[in-house]
Amino acid sequence: MSTLTAFGKLPTLNSATILLVGTNEIFQQQFAETILEETQDLKINIHLADCLPLPPERDHIRPRIDLIVFMVNMQSKHSYSNIEASLVHLDANFFLGKVCFLATGAGRLNQISVDVNAVLKLADLYCSPVLFCELECKKIRIATAQRLLRMLQICAGHMSGVSALSFSSLMKNSIDDSSFLA
Amino acid sequence: MKRGVTAKTPKQALTHSCQKQTDLSAWKASVLQTTGCKNGQKPTGDEQQTASDDFDHRQDPLEEALTYLKKAKDRTSQKNEVLQKHLVTVEKIAQEKGLAPEELDILLNIALSGKFAEVVSTRLLKNLVPTSVITEDSVISAVSWLCVGKCSRTTQVIFLKWLIAMFDFIDQKEQVNALYGFFFGFLQVEKLFPFACHVLYLLTRKKNVKPFRVRRILDLQTKFGAEPPLQALLSLYKNFCPEMVSVTLPTNTKVQFKNSENLWKMAISNIKRRLYGTPLTSQPNLIDTTCPQSRKRKWHTKLVLPVSSAHSSSSPESQRTSPIDLIGHGDTFPVEQLQTFPQLLENIHCLELPSRIGSVLANRLLLHYVNCVSDDSVYRRMYYWMGQTLREECPWHKVENQQFEQEFKDFLRKIFEAECFLQEGFSSCEEFLYRSLPFWDGCSCRSQVLQLVSWIPLSTFSEMKSYLFKPLAQLFFTSSLYFKCSVLECLRELLLNWLNWHIMQKGTTTKSAADLLNTTLSGLVSSVADLIHFVGWLSTVALRLENNSAFLMHFILDFYEIVSDVYLMFNLPLVVMPPAGVFYTALLSMDSVSLDHLCYIMYRYRANLIAAKQNQQAKKTVLQFKFSSQTCQEYNQYITAMVGCLWTSNVFQKDFHHQGIRMDPEVLERTRVKAYRKSFNIVYHPALTGYAMLFLQEAQSGDRTPNFQLIQGRRWEWYLEYLYTQELQGLKLFIKSSINRASQSSQAQASK
Repeated sequence: MSTLTAFGKLPTLNSATILLVGTNEIFQQQFAETILEETQDLKINIHLADCLPLPPERDHIRPRIDLIVFMVNMQSKHSYSNIEASLVHLDANFFLGKVCFLATGAGRLNQISVDVNAVLKLADLYCSPVLFCELECKKIRIATAQRLLRMLQICAGHMSGVSALSFSSLMKNSIDDSSFLA
Repeated sequence: MKRGVTAKTPKQALTHSCQKQTDLSAWKASVLQTTGCKNGQKPTGDEQQTASDDFDHRQDPLEEALTYLKKAKDRTSQKNEVLQKHLVTVEKIAQEKGLAPEELDILLNIALSGKFAEVVSTRLLKNLVPTSVITEDSVISAVSWLCVGKCSRTTQVIFLKWLIAMFDFIDQKEQVNALYGFFFGFLQVEKLFPFACHVLYLLTRKKNVKPFRVRRILDLQTKFGAEPPLQALLSLYKNFCPEMVSVTLPTNTKVQFKNSENLWKMAISNIKRRLYGTPLTSQPNLIDTTCPQSRKRKWHTKLVLPVSSAHSSSSPESQRTSPIDLIGHGDTFPVEQLQTFPQLLENIHCLELPSRIGSVLANRLLLHYVNCVSDDSVYRRMYYWMGQTLREECPWHKVENQQFEQEFKDFLRKIFEAECFLQEGFSSCEEFLYRSLPFWDGCSCRSQVLQLVSWIPLSTFSEMKSYLFKPLAQLFFTSSLYFKCSVLECLRELLLNWLNWHIMQKGTTTKSAADLLNTTLSGLVSSVADLIHFVGWLSTVALRLENNSAFLMHFILDFYEIVSDVYLMFNLPLVVMPPAGVFYTALLSMDSVSLDHLCYIMYRYRANLIAAKQNQQAKKTVLQFKFSSQTCQEYNQYITAMVGCLWTSNVFQKDFHHQGIRMDPEVLERTRVKAYRKSFNIVYHPALTGYAMLFLQEAQSGDRTPNFQLIQGRRWEWYLEYLYTQELQGLKLFIKSSINRASQSSQAQASK
């Protein structure tokens, strides 16, 4: 079985790998470029895929993937169902903080064909956060890229004292869990 | 033509004296008298000569044309050459120079009386370009022509279009408004209905909104379907009286009216240019056109006080002449004339809020009025309008709004300023935040949105957390250091606003309401406590994520500075200690500012706790205190750690906090740090060791390697004095209050 594994490979020194999964290639490309434009201390590898599983034949040259971003296009039902199908092929360990959903196009209310609540529910089911982003707008794209890079740094273990798991617990249950109430 | 000029002279008393105007030359004289030469009617061009062949040479060709048109027999063929010639004259002059109010009046009457063929009427209407203003009376007589049905539907449509285009040029709209019912009647006619809708939209005031009209519009809606003009009118009605219109309206009706200005667009812009160009624009009625009329967006029009909103009948004379004024609205004060506070006080009983409720936001005096008026409908109007606007224009809800982000920012800023002025948040704004924060990218209008967050009214924290604090926390964790700092800043403001609100409440409640106060107080206390805990949690995580940044620490400690003083300064029975993640990070921080700030905060905690304890013992207050022995215990643990750290050098043994820095000697030995016990006292503390160094350099004078061992005994005292002179006020207050200097000798021994 060629599922992607979260801890199957050793990390590469001073680099982090992000995988963008989504059906809209233009957005993916654009977003990947935006991420690369952000100056970083570490080397960022970006892999693009339109669905999972990834082809097994090139598995040996693929680095360890630190963060998987599922780009849900709110205007396309296909994109949603595609991601729903892809999620099955993922190693459960990824859901310990190494998955994130990026909902795009929620800003065009009249063109939305995927229910916002459905996406939130899906993300909740997979214990992962959702970010909302309009990729057409450059400013927002940059801000979102920066946010994702922060998450990537944590997921790749470059932030001392914070693990992907602890971070995802912060992101997910920020409040429901009343841990902050002493 | 029986209704010619003569019929209306009494009403024109404003512009020229009451005289019978049977003679046109007399009329001409009066025109020149009143309007001066600026209308430019002096015969100058060549065309006049051809036009005035069979008339007196001094006579104006336009005047001549008017006389002809007036005297011409009904139903003169449109192919009549003389008619054509005069029409051309009128056209030319109108397009070049515009027409004076009186000329407009005559032509309007001719056009609408159905005297000539439809083509001629249309042609005349298309050339009704005013130089300055259109008198109210012309409009009224025109509408009366419309009602007798002498002219064709097409002419009526063009007239309505003209009215819409020229609406801003009508000098007074009070009596035009009195015709509201007539315009409303035009809604029945299918051909007129979109334009009538637009006229009504421009004309509507609050008093015009009546249940029967709402019903009628709803009937029309079922008849014609949900036409945009009807929707627009209905939403305006809802703006005025939300309680009357219960149907929900679609929010995406952007272009509601077809542009009726096209026919006159060029001419109007020409007039405006000419008027701005010449200094002769002293006409009081042109305020509207001198306002920034950049219609690039409706923002301006939304937030600027509409001049025509109220009744501009300022002169008592005009009120006397028209009975409508006296009966209807002689008792209201036009809001746009409101300039000073005394004026507000004098007229507070007879103010009517403008049709654009949004303009209140930018007007301090009207905000005063809104603040003290007990009328519910004001709040409802404001609530509805603001909610609608925020939803409509929010750039992250509608991508197409992105380009207008700056306008939205300005709008949010205006709301924020109004909130600051009123010292309370708008509930529609709160709703907007609840609704939109989950989708916020944390980037567009950042500072404005956060400012609005700080004015969220106090409510139960559990209600707020899922909508507000959860998305905010998600953004907080993934965003930059600066974003984190601004979120902490805004939460600090929020806390301050809540506390201030509490103080105000306390000032206003009477003793009889004490029971009520008690119940709400416990609610308030628990909400505030929850907010503080939430910020504590955020701070702890943020410090870890940002590698204990001193900049971040500054904002966190600013927040706790307020928290520490909640009891004494805001009279709220609540003391919450900072979490260990904040306390120890500040205590062991590398920079003296954080340490000093922490010292000050601990000093304030001490003052508050002592005061609370004294009050409790004296049983001055029966209120249930939110701090338990646990809070005191926590404070004691912290203070022990602090004193042990900075002064007695026994923190590694005596820190009893479960998250503290108590360590076994064996572990410490293994670090191989010499004299590890003293490593955090005021000499060796990384934040203070620089001071110690400078102190020694001053004392020793020479470049010997400074020997920190020397600072003890008497020198310890001197060093302390030296520290006090270095602006470390917090440290000074802390040491003076929390450290018992009587036992100084024993501590001096201990520190050896």
